[in-house]
Amino acid sequence: MNRGKVRAIIAFAALIALLLVSLIINVFTGSADISFSEALNALFKGVSGEISSDILWKIRIPRAFSALLLGGALGLSGYLLQTFFHNPIAGPFVLGISSGAKLTVALVMIAAVSRYHSVNSLTMICAAFAGSLLSLGFILLISRRVRRMSMLVVCGVMIGYICSAITDFAVTFADDSDIVNLHDWSMGTFSGMSMDNVRVIAVVVIAASAGAFMLSKPISAYQLGESYAQNSGVRITFLRCMLILLSGLLSACVAAFAGPVSFVGIAVPHIVRVMLHTSKPVLLIPGCFLGGGIFCMLCDVLARTAFAPTELSISTVTAIFGAPVVIIVMLRRRKGEL
Amino acid sequence: MERIPVSAEGLSAGYSSPVVEDICFNVRQGEVMTLVGPNGSGKSTLLKTLAGCLEKLGGTVFFDGEDTDNISTGEKAKKLSIVLTERIRPDLMTCRDVVETGRYPYTGRMGLLKDADRKAAQEAIEMVGAEDLADRDFSEISDGQRQRIMLARAICRQPHILILDEPVSYLDLYHKLAFLEILRKLADEKRLAVIVSMHELELAREISDHVIALKNGRALYSGKPEDIFTKDIIMELFDIPEKLYDKYYTNTMKGKM
Repeated sequence: MNRGKVRAIIAFAALIALLLVSLIINVFTGSADISFSEALNALFKGVSGEISSDILWKIRIPRAFSALLLGGALGLSGYLLQTFFHNPIAGPFVLGISSGAKLTVALVMIAAVSRYHSVNSLTMICAAFAGSLLSLGFILLISRRVRRMSMLVVCGVMIGYICSAITDFAVTFADDSDIVNLHDWSMGTFSGMSMDNVRVIAVVVIAASAGAFMLSKPISAYQLGESYAQNSGVRITFLRCMLILLSGLLSACVAAFAGPVSFVGIAVPHIVRVMLHTSKPVLLIPGCFLGGGIFCMLCDVLARTAFAPTELSISTVTAIFGAPVVIIVMLRRRKGEL
Repeated sequence: MERIPVSAEGLSAGYSSPVVEDICFNVRQGEVMTLVGPNGSGKSTLLKTLAGCLEKLGGTVFFDGEDTDNISTGEKAKKLSIVLTERIRPDLMTCRDVVETGRYPYTGRMGLLKDADRKAAQEAIEMVGAEDLADRDFSEISDGQRQRIMLARAICRQPHILILDEPVSYLDLYHKLAFLEILRKLADEKRLAVIVSMHELELAREISDHVIALKNGRALYSGKPEDIFTKDIIMELFDIPEKLYDKYYTNTMKGKM
């Protein structure tokens, strides 16, 4: 067996172990004072009506799984965008895709809540998907004109600000009761997830991730540039469309349920790339998914417990750990590339 | 009958409007055909169209006697490989990884390499004399070495046709000569049909079997290198005033051109 293979096996074993550890930490820690044995007891008894069981099964477990799945979605979405733009600092947050999704979700929420008092998950995902594709459309238009990677990101950040400004504007003029709800969500959080939410998230995220994994082969050819990919027999238009749709869908799902979560999409693919020391999509795609899940679960533990009972927004924590990675990546790039 | 790996009839190529028009040629096995001409004469457009990176606008291209319109993308990819001018910057890929991407049309759904693919990559690396580079990171080697690796990538596909767009433009003289040596060897030993564009006329003269001189999207002249690389044709092709030509060429390369 060669060194690459050994490295991949060790890295994946480590990722899976870390994933399980993070999951356990997430389930067993929280602001409510539940002892380990109590929690264990509640875990095995299932939903029993006791308070500790309710907290575990209705709050912590759905929250942990949504952090896992949505974190994975972000990591993967970032990886697909970086591939698409051949740009190492692309990600759903910096390119304004998350904010675009946030905007449409906010608008739909305000419109729907005032009329029907609730919005179902599917509507939210659709709204978010439309918003993320809208932002992506703008970014694509801009990317035809700017050649420099850093300019593209600056434009993305601007699109993000515009969308956020419109969202804030809409929220300011919404009814009082909605604002509380919206405000929490517009900062980004994994709190308030129900098992039903988790089911919907699981279906969308796992389907999209499997779709991305099936594209491993053409993505590997695409890394050498479009002409080489085309000559290898890659259907380039199809691949580009799929990359956009899948990354848009993944980040839309995150925006719909957790609001904007910053920097996971950029940071995770880089960490995973260094860990696996490869650029092979067959390894990086599952790697980014696992890495994103771990990253978000650990950040969420910190968000919940660092200043308990006050909860930090998830973006506050992910930015603290994610943004430095972006700076390191930019510094390590050779001159003239960004 | 001798197999003709690639030929074109009345080929026109371009984007929305044609950049090159009415191109005809045959390249036999073991032949090197060179495209020369000023910048913007349509060399790259023509090569990209032959390589399938651009849709052709008219005319017919044949691979091994078969109309390319009737050949599937996957089959075309097996028959033809390219080396382009554009520099690629893959992250965390060894030279061997880059070479192995050439096996794309042969790998399965997930693109995993089989032993035969690894062997073909190794042979290609040996063919271009890059054994010592194989396990180095692609981003750490020089331009000359990179072109050699890209050539290995192209030939590990075991194509019938090799297309190269200005492959030696950015290389120093030694690497230019070394690269063209390998190219000639590929044509002679592997019987590949090679189509290459270049600006180095004195080198083109040495390695070509056939030359097409392109100007403003038309094949101005087509023929054997000794017939094309004459003073009159070069002056006409590149719009060089006679005084200037004489100053630089007649004195330095007496008897050559």
